[in-house]
Amino acid sequence: MIKSNLMVTVAKDLEDLIPVFFKNRHKELESLRRALASGDFDQLRHLGHRMKGVGNSYGFATISEIGKRIEDGARDSDRKAIDACIGEYADYLSKVQVVYE
Amino acid sequence: MSKRAGSPGTPPAPAAFRVLVVDDDADMVAFLGLLLQREGMKVETASDGDAALAHVSATPPDLVLLDVMMPGASGFEVCRQLKSDEATALIPVVLVTSLEDSDSRVRGIEAGADDFLSKPVKREELLARVKTLRRLHETRKELESRRLAAEVQRKDAIRKAFSRYISPRLADRIADAAGDQGDPFQGRAQRTNLVALFADLRGFTRLTEKNEVGAVVGMLNEYFAVLTDAAYQHDGTIFNMAGDSLLVGFNVPFPQPDAAERAWRTALEMVGRFAPVAAAWHRRHGLDLGVGVGICTGEAIIGNVGSEHYANYTIIGNPVNTAARLMQMAAAGEVLVCGPVYERIRRLLSGYSVTERGDVALRGRSEPIAVFAVQASTEASA
Repeated sequence: MIKSNLMVTVAKDLEDLIPVFFKNRHKELESLRRALASGDFDQLRHLGHRMKGVGNSYGFATISEIGKRIEDGARDSDRKAIDACIGEYADYLSKVQVVYE
Repeated sequence: MSKRAGSPGTPPAPAAFRVLVVDDDADMVAFLGLLLQREGMKVETASDGDAALAHVSATPPDLVLLDVMMPGASGFEVCRQLKSDEATALIPVVLVTSLEDSDSRVRGIEAGADDFLSKPVKREELLARVKTLRRLHETRKELESRRLAAEVQRKDAIRKAFSRYISPRLADRIADAAGDQGDPFQGRAQRTNLVALFADLRGFTRLTEKNEVGAVVGMLNEYFAVLTDAAYQHDGTIFNMAGDSLLVGFNVPFPQPDAAERAWRTALEMVGRFAPVAAAWHRRHGLDLGVGVGICTGEAIIGNVGSEHYANYTIIGNPVNTAARLMQMAAAGEVLVCGPVYERIRRLLSGYSVTERGDVALRGRSEPIAVFAVQASTEASA
């Protein structure tokens, strides 16, 4: 149940996995930035596709949604759109709060 | 004191259902693994397609949860390879694809996937699909184990049914060759080349005259135990036991290229192994008894002969009749063989006394046949 997109409720049994999950998301953010800087749209599409799959599996619908937009933007080679998505992702990761139920 | 697994009275714990999770995303592997482990399943992992194929080949799991987009071999390729290999084709494969990616589903069906799971993964959907496939897989395994048990039971029945007539090794071969055809002896009669061996007890009439019925039966049992053991030792098939005579066939029902040699060795064992029995009877009853053997080869008919209510699986024809005549002519401890059998076994006869009887006219045969007599003395056969 998402109370707001920055307050995410995650199943209690996933609690142990969440620290590693966020550590990997921050690594992912850096990978996105590097890929955009080098214009590697294949890598951007792959990263976006992965975000799309993993985000909402854990309960983070926003990560899946941003991932889909990055995947689409990479398919269109739309640097501007992807840049905006990466900024949005960085902002989200810095603010999101997790509640376990 | 704790009980050991598998100790008497403790049924073995069922093996955990093993799921191989294949995904290059460590977070997806951790997520799927956690949910499956909570359901009591054993989770194994691989991070790309090639590693997955190697894992399945080494330790086949009960189910594969397979991501589509991976470095190296894609999920489609892995699925296709698993489904085209007889050893892994029955392992259920669930392809994990994006919800909106209908092309992937079509390609997955073409690759032989058993089911699909959408990403992002909903835990209820994951568990429902895996549990369904688990039930199907376990039902299939149960049916397979029942089929195997029935097969073992059926083969045991065949072994039991025929083990009184043929050697245990031949009974095993018949049971193994029977497939789903049932009784292997129900086939049509056929002509085949075989070697027939007839053996009987010289002096049997005196034995029956001099002894009580119970004693005669006991002695006959002792005598036939020796002869049947010798026949089975060389994989002969016993076709008839009447009075004191025994008919053994070689090269039937399975080919034995060395059939004549087997028949000769059987005759030697019959004579040699009966000698101490005969000596004991001589001491006990004053009887002079010995085994006489006739061996001949040729084409004969093999098949079931009789009525609906009573039939014999038997051999009929010239070599059988001739072997019977030779047996009647043989003295105690003597083996009479026809010419073709002699030619086949002559290299085995050094050290034995062989007498060429020349062409002998036998009752029931229009032409005389060459006969050789071999003295199968106890010393030589030992």
